[in-house]
Amino acid sequence: MIAVIFRLLMRRALLAVPLVFAVVALTFFLIRLAPGDPAQILAGDAPTPEFLAQIRAEYGLDKPVWSQFLAFLAKALTGDFGISLYAQRPVFSVILERFPATVIMTGTAMIVASVVGILVGVASAKRAGSRADAAISAASLLGYSMPGFWVGQLLVLLFAVWLDWFPASGMVAARATYTGWRYIGDVAWHMVLPVTTLSVFLLTLIARFTRAAMIDALDQDYVLVAEAKGASQSRVLWHHAFRNACVTTVTVIGLEFGAVLAGAVVVEIVFGWPGLGRLFYDAIYRRDFPLLTGAFMFSSMIVIVVNTISDVVCALLDPRIRG
Amino acid sequence: MKQALALSPSWFMPAWLARVLRSPAAALAGGIMVAIVVTGVLFAPLFTSTDPMALSPDTLLEPSWVHPLGTDDLGRDNLARVLYGGRVSLLIGLFSAALSVILGMTIGMVAGFFGGALDEVLMRVTEAFQILPKLLVAVVVVSLIGSGLANEVLVIGLLSWPITARVIRGRVQVIRHEEFIAAAEMSGASWLRVLTRHVAPNVFSFLLVSASLQVASAVMSESFLSFLGLGDPAHPSWGLLLQQGQLFLNEAWWLTTFPGIALAMTILGLNLLGDGLR
Repeated sequence: MIAVIFRLLMRRALLAVPLVFAVVALTFFLIRLAPGDPAQILAGDAPTPEFLAQIRAEYGLDKPVWSQFLAFLAKALTGDFGISLYAQRPVFSVILERFPATVIMTGTAMIVASVVGILVGVASAKRAGSRADAAISAASLLGYSMPGFWVGQLLVLLFAVWLDWFPASGMVAARATYTGWRYIGDVAWHMVLPVTTLSVFLLTLIARFTRAAMIDALDQDYVLVAEAKGASQSRVLWHHAFRNACVTTVTVIGLEFGAVLAGAVVVEIVFGWPGLGRLFYDAIYRRDFPLLTGAFMFSSMIVIVVNTISDVVCALLDPRIRG
Repeated sequence: MKQALALSPSWFMPAWLARVLRSPAAALAGGIMVAIVVTGVLFAPLFTSTDPMALSPDTLLEPSWVHPLGTDDLGRDNLARVLYGGRVSLLIGLFSAALSVILGMTIGMVAGFFGGALDEVLMRVTEAFQILPKLLVAVVVVSLIGSGLANEVLVIGLLSWPITARVIRGRVQVIRHEEFIAAAEMSGASWLRVLTRHVAPNVFSFLLVSASLQVASAVMSESFLSFLGLGDPAHPSWGLLLQQGQLFLNEAWWLTTFPGIALAMTILGLNLLGDGLR
């Protein structure tokens, strides 16, 4: 088993490694392409001459382009994304500080979206063509057509401003000093609206693709055989049909992870959630380019890793695509 | 079993609505939504006589007869801002979708037609583009290179072609082995002629679907960039209006509700249209 996973990982690395390389190269060339001197971009609007000289030396900006790129690449791969101009400390430590908040929110949203999306998708495939199925299809098309941040704004208007059921922003109540379970409860309370918002998009996608894959699977001979030998309906549905359809579900989750992370950025802004997304926003506003490019490279690497994992999971689920 | 379940009554949806949603009428409904938005946006001066940039002392007014959608924090008329903002959103959506459809069609046709190593390379590149978080790439590119309508169009267009490429490639792989292609090749037509004269007309219907979905996705991407403050402040789009609305979420619900409805209606309409044409 471990040997199989290892072999799959090595094979997927053939795509993942060049992709990481491409992300770093893209960032490097963007910094060079940007109007102005690269040193100035990395050092901020009003650097002292010493700091400017230090940046020039550190990134080898007086050397040829290819050696500049190698220096940049080596730094990026070791997590050295430079110094945040605003925070005045390493970008990587700023990112790590914000990362847990994003993981908690995005992770919860992905779990909610997967569970509900699969249930909805399977249920509507079982009743394909019925009114309930049509209603679900219509609802999921609607969910897919609303920008995430607007869904969040509507939820704030409805549940925070008007009904006053949930807090509108933040991760914990202001001025509260909860600890232990009360703290966890407070965070969960603040998480209801942002997680709902972030789930909508992924949930509708998972439901749509799971439905299509399930309709396909339910039409196969092995389902007929399972029914003929007297397997219960739920066993046919989950053990025989979904076992095959879930490959599609995992693929969708992997492919859309980048979009989910981008969605998290805007949802965090709407709800004032102190994660990576806020970091992006602040970096854009303060023109803190080391922070922006660092956060970008960091998130892209995570997206690539998640994709690789989802590919491996797919191959484990379906021996046919192990190759 | 499926039959019996299909006939079971459902309490939350009248039969006529279910029929409409499963029929070509869904595409029609999508078409109507898009038509409403396009009419409103194109003929904006007919629906409002107010200048969307005109300041007035009437700040943050609720919707009323004078200002049907209220006013913003600088006293500008929200209806005018939504209508004229749609011009920016739709224009960026159309141009970037055109770019991504042309790119996607070319790459998809070449990959599907020639196959082999070329196909392998192009599909790896496509896959790479699909994995990359396209919106985050767009954020970094626009922040570093500079915002502005042309840059937004370029970035969105250059990042959105993979889906079209995959669909077109799949279709071309199917028709590649049809007899009329072999006949054209045997009669000595060059590959360029075969591609443009014989393959292209057969992917046209797929292109139409793809174009509709691409415009929807481009309008969505544009709103994302503008919401992050990367739009062009001189040409406020719906996304930019929603960014401003965010600041007054507690005081002025109309500043987020109406631009959002316009945005969602456009995207839903285009998605319905695309789904229906399929």
